[in-house]
Amino acid sequence: MTTAAAAPTTSESRTPRQIWHRVRGMLLAVLILVVAGVALAAARSGGQHGRLDPRSPDPYGSRAVAELLRDRGVSVDVATTLAEAAAATGPDTTLLVARPNMLTAHQQQRLRAATADSAGRTVLIAADGPSVSRLAPGVRPESHRPVAARTPRCELPAARTAGTTDMGGVHYTAAGGETTACYPDDDGIAPLLVLRGHGAGDTVLLGSPDILHNARLDQQGNASLGLQLLGSRPHLVWYLPSLDDPSTAQGGSGDQDDSGDDGTEGANGFLGLIPSGWLWGTLQLALAAVLAAIWRGRRFGPLVTERLPVVIRASESTEGRARLYRKADARDRAADTLRSATRIRISPLLGVSPRDADSPAVLLPAVAARLSTPSGDLGALLFGPAPADDAALVLLTDQLDALEREVRTS
Amino acid sequence: MALTGRAALVAALGSLPVGILGPSWAGMLAVNVPLALAILGDYALAAPVRTLQFTRSGDTSVRLGDTAAVQLTVTNPSRRRLRAQLRDAWPPSSWCSEAEQASSRHEFAVPGGERRRLTTILRPARRGDRVADRVTVRSLGPLGLAARQGYHRVPWTVRVLPPFTSRKHLPSRLARLRELDGRTSVLTRGEGTEFDSLRAYVPGDDTRSIDWRATARQSTVAVRTWRPERDRHILVVLDTGRTSAGRVGDVPRLDAAMDATLLLAALATRAGDRVNLIAYDRRVRAQVQCRTAGGNVLPALVSSLATLEPALVETDARGLSTTALASAPHRSLIVLLTSLDAAPVEEGLLPTLPQLTRRHTVLVAAVADPHIEAMAGSRGTVDAVYEAAAGAQAQAQRRRTADQLRHHGVTVVDAAPNDLAPALADAYLTLKASGRL
Repeated sequence: MTTAAAAPTTSESRTPRQIWHRVRGMLLAVLILVVAGVALAAARSGGQHGRLDPRSPDPYGSRAVAELLRDRGVSVDVATTLAEAAAATGPDTTLLVARPNMLTAHQQQRLRAATADSAGRTVLIAADGPSVSRLAPGVRPESHRPVAARTPRCELPAARTAGTTDMGGVHYTAAGGETTACYPDDDGIAPLLVLRGHGAGDTVLLGSPDILHNARLDQQGNASLGLQLLGSRPHLVWYLPSLDDPSTAQGGSGDQDDSGDDGTEGANGFLGLIPSGWLWGTLQLALAAVLAAIWRGRRFGPLVTERLPVVIRASESTEGRARLYRKADARDRAADTLRSATRIRISPLLGVSPRDADSPAVLLPAVAARLSTPSGDLGALLFGPAPADDAALVLLTDQLDALEREVRTS
Repeated sequence: MALTGRAALVAALGSLPVGILGPSWAGMLAVNVPLALAILGDYALAAPVRTLQFTRSGDTSVRLGDTAAVQLTVTNPSRRRLRAQLRDAWPPSSWCSEAEQASSRHEFAVPGGERRRLTTILRPARRGDRVADRVTVRSLGPLGLAARQGYHRVPWTVRVLPPFTSRKHLPSRLARLRELDGRTSVLTRGEGTEFDSLRAYVPGDDTRSIDWRATARQSTVAVRTWRPERDRHILVVLDTGRTSAGRVGDVPRLDAAMDATLLLAALATRAGDRVNLIAYDRRVRAQVQCRTAGGNVLPALVSSLATLEPALVETDARGLSTTALASAPHRSLIVLLTSLDAAPVEEGLLPTLPQLTRRHTVLVAAVADPHIEAMAGSRGTVDAVYEAAAGAQAQAQRRRTADQLRHHGVTVVDAAPNDLAPALADAYLTLKASGRL
């Protein structure tokens, strides 16, 4: 090799420019994806943001009704955790649960336990499915109906005062207990159900939140019904369930009892017992492990491939034939072949041409003449029928060998 | 970019100050920010890999089983000192064992502007061309925490030649050749059919070789001496079809045939004959023409045989004999190295054989399988007897095929891989002695 051929262009690694050329398309795609995602999220979030939030002025927020309640001397407080909501229950408090379906079964059980005996009012907005039976036992959710203007057709004073309102959503029936169903459909199921509890407490199930939305508050008798339902006590606690509530993590699937909580608290306690130095040291060790993984993971050049030659044993077909004989118990073929091979081998020793090796008339006298003491029936041995079983075949082989030895040594 | 074990070790040791002195985010940052800076600085200060210059030198061919040394010269044109690990990658069959592969890894240092020579030792496990793959360089920084990694393509090819193990048989066959030639002082009538010279009668000479005309012209009795023919043509035809891929022992039949070819070629070249070669399955795989009589065709032969591999296709016997006829314009000895399997011979070779034997002497050499012989001799159990039957069947078939070929006037050499080369050489010498070339 000459030095001219060893130009600096032997390098195969990519230059920064080449790397940039390769990745810029990908970067552009990622950028477009991010921008499009942000734009779409911004465009679609408008109406849904702050849904049923008493602080939100959006069409689906509920700031208007909260302000009206405050004007009437009702204090409105927002709770985002179950602990706050449960602590605020009391005889002079209305607890509004904005999205009861979002609560875990465990949370629902705790909420029920807190509200059952508080003598206050609990308003459940659009509770559906299993959460109804947990939060308001004895009430069953039925089908969903579209929201429309309906007349009260019931004895509840608030409904009668409000008159026609926008009702719909989940409809309920009560299996028993002291209940009042308002705005019922023709088949008797109602989107507004008031369930009296022990003492002065009651639970209001509202099928859809529409009468509390800012957008609809000024229509029909919505405002009147909302103010009466929520303003019956001097305090209103507006519970907006959120995912960062620590109580969501408790209780697992919700079917466990309280012993599960003790376990987690115990684990917290155990972690709490470890000195923080160990924890931080372990974190640093994990970082070192990542560096070690990068160190070992970087290959020292790619694997080199090559074409491998085929490996076929030349005797493969013969071995296959042997196994085939064995499987088919081809004693006749095997005996024929072995006899013929012996005849061919001994014929030159006897002065018989190989062409005559297969004729008994020529070969047998020659063998008999060669051997002084012919052992057994030569004709049956060299030209006889196929052996009856495997043992006879092995015996035949041994006899043929013995004959060949005898011919050789005589 | 590549990290080293040292970087991971420093990070692991960093868990002590983090755990003892500063178990907080601040402590983590205090340890890891300097480490990250050191790694980046080390990477930046490592000698560049892209500008390195490489040249190769060394062996370009090696006999199978020997070692070849290939040198790689690294020039560091930058001003920084290069401290590097290097992997000179070759295909895996360039070494016989995993341990020998370690010779492809080098660790070295080159001061700025200097050069170093590294030697990679190859001991190939198979015939054929070995083409160098990439050269991977990992240039370490001054602290040894990080490295730059890059590749260079520095082409080089080492041709691995057939081992020619049968060359140990060459001296004895050459001795026999000299006997034929009449160069040794034997008092028998010189073998061969070509008139060589007249010389004075020595008592003991065969009286049949006295040339009476010459004796009449001069006062002493003259005898004719004879010598074997020279300048004959030999065409070796290697069948590289599917039957040549079968392994006998651990070696394909083709390799045993090559070995026999090389011994025959070496012997025939010394005997003054021209040796040509064709390797054929469905097309010509290799062809070597000897231009001059007695010219040394062996290097060309070895080199073209080196890269020959069996093809897994049925040999086109018609095409093979056509090609053989086309490349043997003179009367030749055609040595056909193929197999004696019944089907390929009966269906392919036999119908086309008369074309070949009309003008040429044909010799068919085949590699026999010692394993089948062992099978035919196995005794004792039922399985062994069936094996013996299958082995005997295969041998009988082979014998029948060989007889068919002999019937067409073909000389047949059927021998185990180790005996094929001497057996073929002997058959050649016999043909030469009897003047049938």
